Amino acid sequence: MTAISKIKSSLFDWHREIPASTLAFYRIGFGALMLFSTIRFLANGWVHDFYIAPKFHFSYFGFDWIPFPNATVLYFIFAMMVLSTIGILLGFFYRISAVAFFVIFTYVELLDKTTYLNHYYFVSLIALLMIFLPANRFFSLDTYFGFTPHQKTVPKWTVGILKFQIAIVYIFAGIAKLESDWLLNAQPLKYWLHTAHHFPLFGELLKEDWVAYFFSWFGCVYDLLIVFFLLTIKTRNFAYFVVIIFHLTTWMLFPIGVFPWVMIFATTIFLSENLHNKVIDFLRGLFKKENQFNDTSISFVKPNSKKLIHFLLGVFILFQLTFPFRYLLYSGNLFWTEQGYRFSWRVMLMEKTGYAEFYIRDSERLAEHKINNTDHLTRLQEKMMSTQPDMMLQYAAYLQKEYKDTTIFFGTNEFTFKNPEVHAEIYVTLNGRPSQLYVDKKHNLAAIKNDLSNRNWLEEFKE
Amino acid sequence: MKKITLLIFAGIFILTACKKDEEPEFDREAMLTNMASGVIIPAYQAENGAVILLHTKAIDFTTNPTTTTLADLRAQYVSTNLLYQRCSMYNFGPSLDYGIKAAFNTFPTDTTKIESNISLGSYTLGTTTHATAIGFPALDYLLYFGTDAEIILKFTTDSEATNRKIYLTDLTSKMKTEFQPVLNQWTGSYQTTFIAANGNDVASSCSYLLNEFVKDCELLKNARIGIPSGQQTGGLTMPEYVEAYFSGLSKSFALEQITGLKTAFTGGPGIGFDDYIRDVESDDVTLSLADNIISQFDVCTQKITVLNNPLSNDITTNFAAANAAYLEIKKLLVYCKTDMTSMLGILITYQDNDGD
Repeated sequence: MTAISKIKSSLFDWHREIPASTLAFYRIGFGALMLFSTIRFLANGWVHDFYIAPKFHFSYFGFDWIPFPNATVLYFIFAMMVLSTIGILLGFFYRISAVAFFVIFTYVELLDKTTYLNHYYFVSLIALLMIFLPANRFFSLDTYFGFTPHQKTVPKWTVGILKFQIAIVYIFAGIAKLESDWLLNAQPLKYWLHTAHHFPLFGELLKEDWVAYFFSWFGCVYDLLIVFFLLTIKTRNFAYFVVIIFHLTTWMLFPIGVFPWVMIFATTIFLSENLHNKVIDFLRGLFKKENQFNDTSISFVKPNSKKLIHFLLGVFILFQLTFPFRYLLYSGNLFWTEQGYRFSWRVMLMEKTGYAEFYIRDSERLAEHKINNTDHLTRLQEKMMSTQPDMMLQYAAYLQKEYKDTTIFFGTNEFTFKNPEVHAEIYVTLNGRPSQLYVDKKHNLAAIKNDLSNRNWLEEFKE
Repeated sequence: MKKITLLIFAGIFILTACKKDEEPEFDREAMLTNMASGVIIPAYQAENGAVILLHTKAIDFTTNPTTTTLADLRAQYVSTNLLYQRCSMYNFGPSLDYGIKAAFNTFPTDTTKIESNISLGSYTLGTTTHATAIGFPALDYLLYFGTDAEIILKFTTDSEATNRKIYLTDLTSKMKTEFQPVLNQWTGSYQTTFIAANGNDVASSCSYLLNEFVKDCELLKNARIGIPSGQQTGGLTMPEYVEAYFSGLSKSFALEQITGLKTAFTGGPGIGFDDYIRDVESDDVTLSLADNIISQFDVCTQKITVLNNPLSNDITTNFAAANAAYLEIKKLLVYCKTDMTSMLGILITYQDNDGD
């Protein structure tokens, strides 16, 4: 076989049957990791801090209609989320659990963009894919109880689409690093590595400029190429070793949470089917259960649904390949305007800090009142809002509503805001540049529509 | 392969070892050690001594209210308040536990509440509702609300004189009993705790220092100058909102405050945030952010210096100067809240972060 035909056949034999143990292994791992991560979220008190404590929530564009639950409902939802992860883990009412987990997890994420993280988006996508994958046809309670037929093999695309999703994360993260701040200035790593200078032995080393450059360049090359080494049978074990070292290093140096563990788990999909099988056998041994199923030869894919599968996979793949590039539709510096920044696998690229002062102005300019942001926002919300333009507009709209027809007393003086305008003076520093004016006080932010058009109300970015 | 790895490691160690000889290495622990023993504890010791003396002078005055004892007490009030301006920006740990900042200096003071407390003769001063009726601002009112004769009258022949005397010494006694344990903890176990928390997380000492430093800068800008000069009220001045309205010494206190804030930044002669910044910055930086902030401190100091006591007058007659001071402190805050915060990477929340 020529190289080209080899690639062709490996790319397009989507329906070749491969051992089902890989998907079962992945299901168990994903369920366990999500169970851990949900419990960690609860144990850290984040349900309260992120969703109950704030008076006001920053909804995502196009999702301001989703209802906001009260505390009781929220905790109930999280309890359901825990149950759904256990369902996935055990393969028990798997399909329902997978749908429930995807819907709940994504719903919670959509409540407030303050806590947006790329790895939450990644989890949502994997959860979405898991709904459609026959991950409960092997070593699951569903097969044990006979809810679903047992199957030794699954079509190759079910594993392939997971590999594709992981490849997207790494390669796009690598492409995003091909920019001058990262490669030529080693920013923001130069600052961030410095924060870990109290580590024994190598702490002093982290202060060195060349170390920041090394980490930056290595990180970029790693992101761009690691998937190809994972895909190659000869190098995949070594590549996985590098994955572990890389993510453990980031876990030690940065407050990055479960992300390293998510990626260390996610990349196991590239390891050999034998290994997945061995893990399943080991687990089976724990329960002293022999594999005693009569395997059905019927594929879970109905013969006439192949076209539909091709279509859906095509749409998903096309979306993944194009959506991160939507920033190209906008003028201006991406880091400055942040248009098309989220949902594009831009990880660790920006150290952006802002100082935002908001003012309520009576439309007749008789009175101007400076807002104390902490009266309305949590510290995290304020921090995020101070650098992200869409959040500034949302906050301005909220303030306008809040102060409309409101009277404020200062000693014996009172001020009534009939039709308040909201103005802000905001300074921002980006990747080590001196702070510069971001939003001029002249704009009435409450009158600016929060839409997808160019944000020309921001000040010009000075390199 | 092994040999190469060994060589690389050896190289790294030699490189770092060389660096060590060239310049003194900065680390947060050294900075925290200096801040504790070189800045915070001395400031607290001075304030503690002054608070003790303040209570003694208050007793002297109430036992024998004359113009002399009143002048003595006032002088002690002023020096104690001035010394406090160098402590207020360390409102974490023991100071926060004892609620020192709220108890010592919540202004403007509520004179109606003070008078009603005196009339009633019964109150629990520690509750939050009384935060505006205690501390320096309440003393400022009691010791300066009128002429010497009027004040002495209130403490001698007035029908509520006994209650007023008790109220005055209750205030100073409260300050004394609350400040002593704060100092004791700092000279005791808290100093070790403070130095040991040498990371950059939200519960680290660096995070506390930076956050409280910035908060006090904001307080100087907003509460001490901004609000009285009408920055929150569309230009309508609010003279009675100044710090120390009755003694009219607001400017002197503000000047001491900016000096204290500068020390909180530089660590005095020892290691402070300025050294931290220089350590993070590249060697080839043309204008160090540390120098930039220090010179901005000097600009602020100069702008406050040209204001006059009482500030409650000055904000009207000398509005341009008050506004200039306000704007310069704001500039200082921009440097501290954006450039400095960003450079030092000190965290403000526990949230996971992938840097986006």
